[in-house]
Amino acid sequence: MKVVHELSRVLPKGIVITGEENTRPFECDGLSVYRQKPLAVVLPENIEQIKQTLKICKAHNTPVVTRGAGTGLAGGATPLEQSVVLGLSKLNQVKSIDVENQLAVVEPGVRNIAISEAVAEHGLYYAPDPSSQIACTIGGNVAENSGGVHCLKYGLTVHNIESLKMLTMAGEELTLSRQDQGMGLLALMNGSEGLLGIMIEITVKLTPTPKLARVVMAGFDSVRDCANAVADIIKAGIIPAGLEMMDKFAIEAAEGFAQVGYPLDAEALLLCEVDGSELQVQAELDTVLKVLSSASTLKVSESEEERLNLWKGRKSAFPAVGRLSPDYYCMDGTIPRRHLADMLEKINQLSQKYQLRVANVFHAGDGNLHPLILYDANIPGELEKTEAFGTDILKLSVDMGGTITGEHGVGIEKLNAMCHQFNNKELEIFHKIKQVFDPDSLLNPGKAVPELHRCAELGAMHVHHGELPHPELERF
Amino acid sequence: MADRIIQLQTLVKQSSGLHIDSALLDYAGIIEYYPEELVMTVKAGTTIANLKKQLKKNNQSLSFYTDDDNISIGAVYANGGQDISDSVLGIKIIDGRGDLLNFGGQVMKNVAGYDVARLLVGSKGQIAMITQISFKVLPSVYVGELSAPKKSNHKSALRTEIEQKLKHVFDPKGIFQ
Repeated sequence: MKVVHELSRVLPKGIVITGEENTRPFECDGLSVYRQKPLAVVLPENIEQIKQTLKICKAHNTPVVTRGAGTGLAGGATPLEQSVVLGLSKLNQVKSIDVENQLAVVEPGVRNIAISEAVAEHGLYYAPDPSSQIACTIGGNVAENSGGVHCLKYGLTVHNIESLKMLTMAGEELTLSRQDQGMGLLALMNGSEGLLGIMIEITVKLTPTPKLARVVMAGFDSVRDCANAVADIIKAGIIPAGLEMMDKFAIEAAEGFAQVGYPLDAEALLLCEVDGSELQVQAELDTVLKVLSSASTLKVSESEEERLNLWKGRKSAFPAVGRLSPDYYCMDGTIPRRHLADMLEKINQLSQKYQLRVANVFHAGDGNLHPLILYDANIPGELEKTEAFGTDILKLSVDMGGTITGEHGVGIEKLNAMCHQFNNKELEIFHKIKQVFDPDSLLNPGKAVPELHRCAELGAMHVHHGELPHPELERF
Repeated sequence: MADRIIQLQTLVKQSSGLHIDSALLDYAGIIEYYPEELVMTVKAGTTIANLKKQLKKNNQSLSFYTDDDNISIGAVYANGGQDISDSVLGIKIIDGRGDLLNFGGQVMKNVAGYDVARLLVGSKGQIAMITQISFKVLPSVYVGELSAPKKSNHKSALRTEIEQKLKHVFDPKGIFQ
């Protein structure tokens, strides 16, 4: 291929990776059911090399798929056929720390946790904490607008980015800041899934490390009581640092894996963390315990060790479920909190219908659901059945006034579900926004926003934000 | 309520130039507010005073800066700023073609599609007619001191060009002035 030849000719040795064996590690991201080898992988060491790569790819009309650590769960970094993967993992320096203004300037390939480690000595940390934070990069976090356990109180990536520098596909540099006049271009870049530009430098906001954090573990005899407790905590005027819910199957899996003392007789479990000064923590704890007084089990962490231990079960829920099944499929719908109990009930009905087991792990505080559907890819047809199940859950999320993806992104995985959430005119606006930044459609083309004919072919009845067409008709 | 939207769509379709303000919009009121969701969905002409009154009953507050209770939420959105951008979750708009479109939603976390709800913050009513806004609110004790948005005056040529092209995406005939 000419483009590969030219990349290898222009860029220094070791930057361009080619060949069946060498490109294999890049053939998928965290959504490993989809695999595709790219023409080549470029791992630049500086901005100039990124610009050279873009220039060559543009000249050869070759699509570019930008990649951080490849931990994404929706196929956002899955290579396209005939594409070049632009991996930014070598750009991994924290460039400067501004303690007074609580900011850090970092390169896009810096790992999320590495920012917190670099600023820890100043009593600061970077708040958004996706589960993959030991591996995922800040550039990828911006691309996906990543969330995490603590975003109920501390916000998503978009709330914690002060400014960024990016390159357009044409190689032009654009600096975007929260203080810009005019349209919200900085916010637009968050969650743009590598379709609009390449992030080359990011200024993140830092947060003072809370003096104290304590977690309350509450077990409930009924899922509905647990779900209602979530709303009650918020209603009582508390915004917990984390508010997570697990169903019985997830509790059993996590306890079997991590042995942290979760109540195995409970139908549902709530973990509620409060943080801040000692006074604040005590006050919030008093309120939370009052709200949770009807729980069948109630326990408060008495030490930092105990707190981390109680979280360990939740944090290992995914691998714990993975141990029980050859494969699992993780969904990411988000719904208004008040519908949590109804949603769980409906997921259980679907589980019966499809004859597939589900473990439910929720970021309950912000209504973000992660049902894990257990399946076996080696059984013919089971992946398709699982995807149909997943699509049903996402449709339900939209119909309840929520969204098909809270924090994982659309990628290639949720293209069909996008047709359910947006109508053609809205999708067209998305396509036109991309054209403004990338007129030749070379940056991660085909991801994140479905083509209109795809939606037409799906032919699903379009239910838009809970508004059914012909609402006068009765439906059962 | 739906009637007013249809009227506004017709207005946009028939017009060659519009200056949007709350008088033109004539569309105010709270559509949905569940305190336990920490989310309010309102018509864009609703005054800040009205929002504050409703929130106070539940010991909740706006999490963005306002210096005039008599202006509408639509005006605050159009003027823009860091904390209104951080608060916004979803919008309904009428674009320059007269189409009613919906972006974002009523939930805290939502990464489906580009973040148009935040893109149009600060667009001064010159990109689209914002008819409905959903935004997050907070228990009053969690709202720290809010200050007027800081804005830099510098705008690069590339940024200006991008904004012009984005205006064309939403308002191809250049109706909104």
